[in-house]
Amino acid sequence: MLKLTQNEWMKLWSRKSSWIMIILLAIILLASAAITKWVDNAMDMNNTESWEQVEASEMAYNLSMLENPNLSDTQREYYEGEVAISEHRLENDLPPYEYDTMQQGVIESHVMMSIVTLFTVIIAGGIVAAEFSQGTIKMLLTRPVKRWKILTSKYIATMLYAILLAIVLFIVTALAGLIFYGIGDGTFLMWNGSEVVEGSFWLEGLKMLALSFASVWIIGTFAFMLGTVFRSSSLAIGLSIFLMFTGIQAVFLLADYEIVKYYLFTHTDLTQYYTGFIPVEDITMTMSVIVLIVYFIIFMAISYLTFSKRDVTA
Amino acid sequence: MSEQALVQIKNLSKTIGNKKIIKNLNLDLYKGQITGFLGPNGAGKTTTIRMMVGLMKPSEGDVLIDGKSVKHSFEESIEKVGVIVENPEMYKYMSGYKNLLHFSRMHKGISKKRIDEVIVQVGMKNRINEKVGSYSLGMRQRLGLAQALLHDPKFLILDEPTNGLDPAGIREFRLYLQKIARENGVAVFVSSHLLSEIELLCDRIAIIQNGELIDIKNVKELQQSRFLFKVEPLAAAEEILAGIGFPVSQFEGGLLVETEAEHIPGAVKILVNANISIFAVQPFKATLEDQFLEMTGGGDIAQAHTK
Repeated sequence: MLKLTQNEWMKLWSRKSSWIMIILLAIILLASAAITKWVDNAMDMNNTESWEQVEASEMAYNLSMLENPNLSDTQREYYEGEVAISEHRLENDLPPYEYDTMQQGVIESHVMMSIVTLFTVIIAGGIVAAEFSQGTIKMLLTRPVKRWKILTSKYIATMLYAILLAIVLFIVTALAGLIFYGIGDGTFLMWNGSEVVEGSFWLEGLKMLALSFASVWIIGTFAFMLGTVFRSSSLAIGLSIFLMFTGIQAVFLLADYEIVKYYLFTHTDLTQYYTGFIPVEDITMTMSVIVLIVYFIIFMAISYLTFSKRDVTA
Repeated sequence: MSEQALVQIKNLSKTIGNKKIIKNLNLDLYKGQITGFLGPNGAGKTTTIRMMVGLMKPSEGDVLIDGKSVKHSFEESIEKVGVIVENPEMYKYMSGYKNLLHFSRMHKGISKKRIDEVIVQVGMKNRINEKVGSYSLGMRQRLGLAQALLHDPKFLILDEPTNGLDPAGIREFRLYLQKIARENGVAVFVSSHLLSEIELLCDRIAIIQNGELIDIKNVKELQQSRFLFKVEPLAAAEEILAGIGFPVSQFEGGLLVETEAEHIPGAVKILVNANISIFAVQPFKATLEDQFLEMTGGGDIAQAHTK
């Protein structure tokens, strides 16, 4: 299996597109940091509010949310935590990081994860389909290696590439922050359920990155399945990207129905449990993880079945 | 043929939809022997070969390679097979060497030394580090052969291997296959619709039509001894030759006589005495094509040529 994965990895890096996507990701991150910085300077920030004022108004908003009797447990917990953090900040004079600091950039690096998803989908949708379209599939499958092993090696290579993209995202975000914003003052606080504690912004950034990787993983797996079933990379990539953008909108359309709880895109964004933006009530992290795993198993089962049963006529 | 067959195709059938496109095929292939697989397009050559190498699943029957079933122990059986299915499609964006490295990793125990050995064998040493995309068809064909030989297979399957090769390339390819069959005892199975090519290359020919194996022949058997007489007047000569007991038929403005070489001087003498003008007497080799057409009926092969 190691050798097969090595093969897939070698093929992946022999194509220019894999390099271009990594470079493009870095360029986009650097450019967006530079543009943010430039816009800030141009507007010269006539924002006169002090951080205490901002914090106080946020706290007031969160308190008002808590008065809503229909809050789910997950949401209630979130708002209580936020209020506790705000109180702690104001009492102990601990300002948060301003948004144009390297630290805040690291904490929020996951917001650019959709680019990673996009690039992962391109690789995932093409890695099997390309073998069919190039005709190399018949060279690949007439080896003393069972088909499921070949498919597994391709899946592993795809996910390794996705992880690499996420790491590049994290490192380049930090670098861009360092170059364009610089290190700012502040502390990162978090609510551990019973008290407010100080946390590391690096760890927080990594945690959020790992959580948002769930969507890369599941949408990547979906594209992988489509590429395997339809043997057309353009169809797989196109359909996956289309669903990636429209799938989340459908959550709002379905919000009033029970079915939304089993709908994939309700659960793809695991960071929702930490950012407070939970469009569907009554869902929990555990439930999301279970739903994602069930979808994963279905996608993989379809991929493996079609790939190992298929008569190769290409 | 007392020797145990290396490859046994047993009752192989393939049904697609409700059409049985391969019908209970039985065929044995032996060490050191090159067997041609001949048939018009659409007869089921490629489907049969794809079932032999595991690209397609047989509806019924099985293929045994050195006693191991392709159906039930895929890895153990395919280990011994080298395959070129139609044009060897390689990864164009990688060098020839990386392509070979790629395929070598899919077999057990192929050393870097072995890769270099095969590269020299197929004469690709100078261009092996260039991208396959820059190769000519002939070079790709060589690389295709190299990947099929990497693991020193006991059995080599080639589907239309000379597609796109120039005459010199075909000749080289033929000599090479004959050499490895003879020297390494490799069983070779070659499908083609190029009849003349098969005739030169193979020891034995299996003919398939409409998914059925209609004949298996040794090439030597096919080459009966016949002579073509170019004589004038034709009718008189025919009468004389038939009169003394030769099987005679008219053929392309001459007479075709089925006989052994030792009877020819006698026949010539008789014709000369009868005042027949003799322009030429030559051994006549019926091409396989003629016999093939005889066996399969002309319509199918004509269709095949319009591919």
